[in-house]
Amino acid sequence: MTAASASRIRRPSLALRDPALFFALVTLWLSLGLFIILPFLRLLQATFIKDGALTLANLVKVWGKAYNRRAFSGSIILATGVSLAGTLLAYLFALAVTRTHWPRWVRWLLSSITILPLISPPFTSSISLTLALGPNGMLLKALGLGELNFYGFWGTWLSETLTYFPVAFMVLAAILSAMDPNLDDAAFSLGASRRRMFWTVTVPLSMPGIANSLLLLFGSSLADFATPLILGGHKFPVLPTQAYLQITGMYDLRGGATLSVLLLLPALLVYGIQRWMIGRKSYVTVTGKSGARSNFATLPRGLEIAMVIVCGLVALFIAYLYFIILWGSAVRVWGVDNSFTMEHYAYVFTHGRKAITDTLKIGITSTVLGSLLAVVLGYLFQRFRFAGRKTMEFVSMLNYALPGTVVGIAYIIAFNEKPLLLTGTITILVAAYIFRYYATGIRSVMASLQQIDPSLEEASMSLGAGRVRTFMEVTVPLIIPAVLAGMRYLFIHSMTAISATIFLVSVRWTLLTTRILESMTELQFSQASAFSIVLIILVFIADIVMGWALRRSSLRFGTTQETSYDNTGA
Amino acid sequence: MTTPALELQHVAKVFRKDRDIVRAVDDVTLVVEKGEFITFLGPSGCGKTTTLRMIAGFELPTEGRILIGGRDMTNIPANKRGIGFVFQNYALFPHMSVFHNVAYGLKSRGEDPGRIREKVGNALELVGLAQAVHRYPNQLSGGEQQRVALARVLALEPSLLLMDEPLSNLDAKLRLHMRTEIRRLQKRLGITCIYVTHDQAEALTMADRIMVMQKGKVEQIGTPQEIYNHPRTLFVADFIGQANAIRLRTSGYADGKAWAKVPGGWQLAARTSGGTILEKGTEAALVIRPERIRLEADAQAAGTLAATVAAATFVGSHVEYELDLGEGNTLKATVPYDPNARLHQEGARVGVRIDQESALFIPIEAKQG
Repeated sequence: MTAASASRIRRPSLALRDPALFFALVTLWLSLGLFIILPFLRLLQATFIKDGALTLANLVKVWGKAYNRRAFSGSIILATGVSLAGTLLAYLFALAVTRTHWPRWVRWLLSSITILPLISPPFTSSISLTLALGPNGMLLKALGLGELNFYGFWGTWLSETLTYFPVAFMVLAAILSAMDPNLDDAAFSLGASRRRMFWTVTVPLSMPGIANSLLLLFGSSLADFATPLILGGHKFPVLPTQAYLQITGMYDLRGGATLSVLLLLPALLVYGIQRWMIGRKSYVTVTGKSGARSNFATLPRGLEIAMVIVCGLVALFIAYLYFIILWGSAVRVWGVDNSFTMEHYAYVFTHGRKAITDTLKIGITSTVLGSLLAVVLGYLFQRFRFAGRKTMEFVSMLNYALPGTVVGIAYIIAFNEKPLLLTGTITILVAAYIFRYYATGIRSVMASLQQIDPSLEEASMSLGAGRVRTFMEVTVPLIIPAVLAGMRYLFIHSMTAISATIFLVSVRWTLLTTRILESMTELQFSQASAFSIVLIILVFIADIVMGWALRRSSLRFGTTQETSYDNTGA
Repeated sequence: MTTPALELQHVAKVFRKDRDIVRAVDDVTLVVEKGEFITFLGPSGCGKTTTLRMIAGFELPTEGRILIGGRDMTNIPANKRGIGFVFQNYALFPHMSVFHNVAYGLKSRGEDPGRIREKVGNALELVGLAQAVHRYPNQLSGGEQQRVALARVLALEPSLLLMDEPLSNLDAKLRLHMRTEIRRLQKRLGITCIYVTHDQAEALTMADRIMVMQKGKVEQIGTPQEIYNHPRTLFVADFIGQANAIRLRTSGYADGKAWAKVPGGWQLAARTSGGTILEKGTEAALVIRPERIRLEADAQAAGTLAATVAAATFVGSHVEYELDLGEGNTLKATVPYDPNARLHQEGARVGVRIDQESALFIPIEAKQG
């Protein structure tokens, strides 16, 4: 219904013509307004408005401090470093998994090991790196390196690269396996060598994926809060930790807000470029002609040797890091008294019990409510044309695009005073998770609806079913796989994310992630390890259950649902 | 006089596309009597499906009114119209068995389980698929899916059955079979039916009346014979069956017949479309069906036009000739094949005998629409 045609004849207003849609839109705009628009505006207000007037004074003041400028350049340098190293590493892994003739189990192992960092809480690699390379580090001792101070840029860079490269791996593996192997054959028959074929066919065709993963990793690193908090140290400040310390250490809400706005600019820039790239057509096409599919050509020998070394070492190192955290959780005092004990687990299940149940409560509530919301929004965006649809879509995804620290600070500013005094309540924690991590759910619901012919819904309507019944009995059963994929993502992140919620926790509600952070700052490494292991196991079980449900539901009508694991802004 | 089953009054659908305003359906008026089988016929993009979807309530008309059984349904949502709709791709619910697909509408209505089971059984019986009741759509062939889709709407005993190119996804042989099958069911149940197709053979064989559409407008409404024998416009003449059109100027008119000088020199008299009076000198097309032309070996035979055979194609039951009349005029002729007679060879001179009773003058302006 275009605006022009609506004005041509007198049509009953939306409220009368479609009360269900009208009611849904009003409710949704109210909740998006409350939990996305309001906090964002309050953040900008705290930064740019002082005594009722528009001002850049806050920005000037913050920028005037050399330490803050270092945090800004630190963030950018770190993000660039992680983005380059992570993409390179991911490309090697992706080549190994999709393009080599290595034994099947080796390739399976390589791709499985990349899943570990995806479902682990953001502290995991920081803790295990500390245990390995920090003071009393196990690996340091084993290699006889003595004192190596790895806190600062290098430690953070290494940890973030290992944590985020799997995101890029998924993107690149997808694009590499979607290419047409006949192109390889064509290049060969035109006389190209293996090396020439790789550089002139494979690499150029991977460019869209490479660009996308560079951006993804840049954004992830920019927004990462947990790693630099533990490994950055005073020498290497970055914006998210700086903003956090400004607020929690100096009680300077305005300063923290201003710092987070500085962080916002590069983050939105990256998000904008990404959206623009998705909008353009990529030239990698997946053809349905599976009959004539030949094998991909072998890679140049030098490259394969490099891949064996790099992938092997990295995979071993990741496995080692997980092993060390398991070990660390079961010794008395790491590096000092390495005798076996279960006392840390006893601690976790007694003193930490509340954190476990709280985290589960919040995780489950967020997952259930968030996926309901994602279904409704995805359905509206895909199936209806209404005024302000594009705006609504943009607004609903805004918190997802923003770094967690920015969202957290915006939330404390917005919800710290009456009548919206919500800080410290479960409501605010759940809202923070939902509106940040339901984006994947919305996207997969939209993608799934795109595959479903609208005539199914029309058929239901013409058979006398109302809109609600049509939705519940026809639409929902068909998009269950997409909903499950969204739930999986929501659950993992509501269990493990910390950057936004660190500002919102209280005595009433504690999270496992904040308990890990406390243990780390108190140098109780073994305790932190035990908390981490419990959290990893919880998430892992949930992930397996949901993965199983997802496969089962996809099998029913022969459709497969792409699972998105991307970790942006954890 | 009984209330018509369906009335469209000046219905239009206007889209705004970028800066252009597209009148996808423009001023369609139609009255359908109870029990009638109407087809909407036209090339793709002519607005026939949009019209059908407006009747169903999937789209709202921008202008005009839609009356079903005498009630104004223009703004009533699809689920409250009591109409059956059969989709081109069948739109069976993939997550439900055949039984639940067919029972779906009955459940919406809140009928009791016993009645539902009975009606589902009857509907499936009707389309000959009683044995498939527990299967899922992906276990059925295309033709079977089509029958289930039909049973699903028939179970509701709708006042009006709408079908959107329901046979276009089936193979040729099954299509022929389903044509008669659908027509038989429709007659037996006495159900009013509107059937959208771009296949003229389907329209001619199935319909009581055909509505021919082009560019959103109605070109002509009539029985298959009317449409075939008395096309109102050049478009209809050309779209339904084959037609030769020779452009000329009329040289006289009297009693529903006009005449003009045809290439070859003599005057040919023929009806004018709709009996319109054509002023002397009107630019018109003389429309001649290829199958209303006979050829004679003697190019000089009385009452024939002399022509040269440009091409002769043997297609089994008949022979298709392309004839050159000179002055850039060509004719197509379809002549029954006679195994005992020789084909006219390319380059041969032949006499063309036109059945003047079936020829028709259509004024050229009429085709602009």
